[in-house]
Amino acid sequence: MSKDFSSPLTRAELRAAIEDVVYTGCAHLDDQRFGAWLETTAPEFRYAIKAYSPDIRREMTWLDHDRKALAAMIDLLPKHHLDGAQWLRQAVVGPIVVDADDSVRAVSSLAIFHTVVDVGDAHLEGGSSRLFAVGRYYDRLHFAGGHWRLFERTAKLDTRQLGAGSHLIV
Amino acid sequence: MAPAKLAALPHVDSRIYTDQTIFDEELEKIWRRTWLLAAHESELPRPLDFRTTSIAGQPVALVRGEDGKVRAFSNVCPHRGSILLREPAGSLSHPKAASAPNRITCMFHAWQFSAQGECLAIPRRQAGYQDRLACSDVSLHSLHCEVAYGGFVWVHLDEDAPPIADHFGHAFDSILPHLEAEPLEVFHHHKAIAATNYKLWHDTNSELYHDYMHHFNRVTGMQQPGYFDRRYSVFAGGHITVSSMVVEYEAYGRDQVALAESRDLSFPGLERNGWKLLDLFPGISINLRGSALRVDTLTPIGPNRVLIEYRGLGLQRDTAEERARRVQDHNTIWGPFGRNLPEDLIGVTNQGLAMRPGSEVRRVLHGRFEGNSIHDEVGMRHYYEEWSRRVGRSARAPYANGAWVT
Repeated sequence: MSKDFSSPLTRAELRAAIEDVVYTGCAHLDDQRFGAWLETTAPEFRYAIKAYSPDIRREMTWLDHDRKALAAMIDLLPKHHLDGAQWLRQAVVGPIVVDADDSVRAVSSLAIFHTVVDVGDAHLEGGSSRLFAVGRYYDRLHFAGGHWRLFERTAKLDTRQLGAGSHLIV
Repeated sequence: MAPAKLAALPHVDSRIYTDQTIFDEELEKIWRRTWLLAAHESELPRPLDFRTTSIAGQPVALVRGEDGKVRAFSNVCPHRGSILLREPAGSLSHPKAASAPNRITCMFHAWQFSAQGECLAIPRRQAGYQDRLACSDVSLHSLHCEVAYGGFVWVHLDEDAPPIADHFGHAFDSILPHLEAEPLEVFHHHKAIAATNYKLWHDTNSELYHDYMHHFNRVTGMQQPGYFDRRYSVFAGGHITVSSMVVEYEAYGRDQVALAESRDLSFPGLERNGWKLLDLFPGISINLRGSALRVDTLTPIGPNRVLIEYRGLGLQRDTAEERARRVQDHNTIWGPFGRNLPEDLIGVTNQGLAMRPGSEVRRVLHGRFEGNSIHDEVGMRHYYEEWSRRVGRSARAPYANGAWVT
C-alpha cells in the first residue's frame, strides 16, 4: 500500500500514525505487556540500547538484539530477580523523515521514571519516584499490511549512571 | 542455629561496613597506601591524551606525555587549589577557551603546565611575585604511576610506594599470559553508585556461592561437570584467583542458542569459553570469560556508598565483527541491561540497607569450608586477614572493648 505524504493533511495523518506506534509502545512497555509491544514491531525488527561514554570517548552498545533474541530475553524475565518498580516513559515524537512511501525515521525525546516498590528501602522509599534515564529513541518504521511497524529502534541514552541497571528494555 | 554456633563460625562484625571512623581509617591505611587501577592505557592512546579520576578523595590526572609515557599527577593547581582538568578524558592538543595548546591550563588564573607536569607560565609572574617565585619553583604533584599487567595504568598515592611487583607478587601468574599476549582495548565503561560498603561489592566478587542468585548460573553453570572443581588460590596481600572452567553456553537452551553459536571467540591462550577470575585487594576484580574481559574498580565514597566502574575490554586488533561479538558477549551478562549485573547490585544494596547505622550489629558469616572449591568462602576470609593487618583492627572484633551483644 502506497501513500502520498506530500499534502499537509496526509503529513498530519502520518505523524498521528507514527505517534500512535511510539506512544502505544511506551504504554505497553510501561505495563510490561511485552508481547503486545512486539506486535508493534516488524519481523526483521532490531533493537539496541547505546550510549556515548566521554570517559573512554567511544559509543557503547549496551544491548543489541534481533526480534527473536529479544523475545527469548523477554521469555526469561520471570526467571530473574527483577526490580519490581513501576515504570513510566514520557516520549515526545520530534522530527519525522520520510525516506520512502513505506519507510520513515522518527526521533523521540525520552524520559523514563522509576517508582520504587522493592529495590531500596520499601518502607521508607516505597512509592517515591525518580528519573531513571533520559535519551532518545531513533526509530525506523515500515508500512506493511496496513500498519506502520517498528523496523529498527536504537534507544540512545544520555544517562550513564543507572543505579542497579535493569533487566528490562527501555 | 544457636547463637553460640553462629559465633563459632568465621565471621566479621557488620560494623566494619558502617562505621565512619573505620571508613576514614581505611582511606588512610589502605586506599592511600596501595596500587590501584586507574584506567587502561587505551583510554589515552595518543600523546597529550589525558584521563581524570579520583583516589580516596584525591583528584588524579593521567596524562600521556609527548614522549608517549603515561604519568599521574594530582589534578589540582598548586596556585589556589582548583581542579585543572575537568573532563573525564580528552586531549591537551584540543584546548578549550583560554587554555594553551598542548598544555594543562588552569581555567582560574591561567597557570600553565606541560604534560610532564612542569610549570611553563604564570601570568604576570614578575609583577606579582617579583623574584620570590619562578616557574621552576612550581610543578604539578607527581604520583607513582606504572603501566603494567596488560596495559593497565596503576597509581599509588604514597610517596613510599613499594614496587608494584612486590604488591601483586604471583597473583597475576594465571591470568597474565592472556592479558599480555596482545594489546588490549577498552570498549565498555559504565558506572554505578551503590548504597553499600565497598567491601561488600568485593565480597560478592570473591564468593561464587551467590550463583544461586542468577538464573543462568543456577540452572546451567552449577549443573555443569567441573563447576565444583574450580579452586580458589590465595596470595600474599589479600589477593585471590579462581581456577578456570569452560562454560557450556549451549546448555543455556533454546533461549540462548544465538549466544552459544556466537561464542567461538576467545582471548589469546584461553580455551574457548574458558573463565578465570582474579580479585585484587582492596577492590579490583579482573574477570576473563570467553571473549570478554571485565574489570571492576571501586571508589569508596562513604561507609555506605561506593562508586563502581565497570570496564569491558577486547583486543586492539579486533575486526569490527569480532568487536561486536565481544561487546555482545560482555553486555548480555555484565552490561547495565545484562542478565546478572542488576542482580549483583540489588544484592549488595540489600546488604547496605540491612547494615545501615542503627540496625542491629550482626555477624556476617564467611564460614563455608569446601576445600577451597567454588562455594568455599576462603576468598573473603583471606581478604579480611589482610584488611585486619592493614587497618590494625580485627574484622571479627574491631573494637578493643567491643564484646558482642547477642
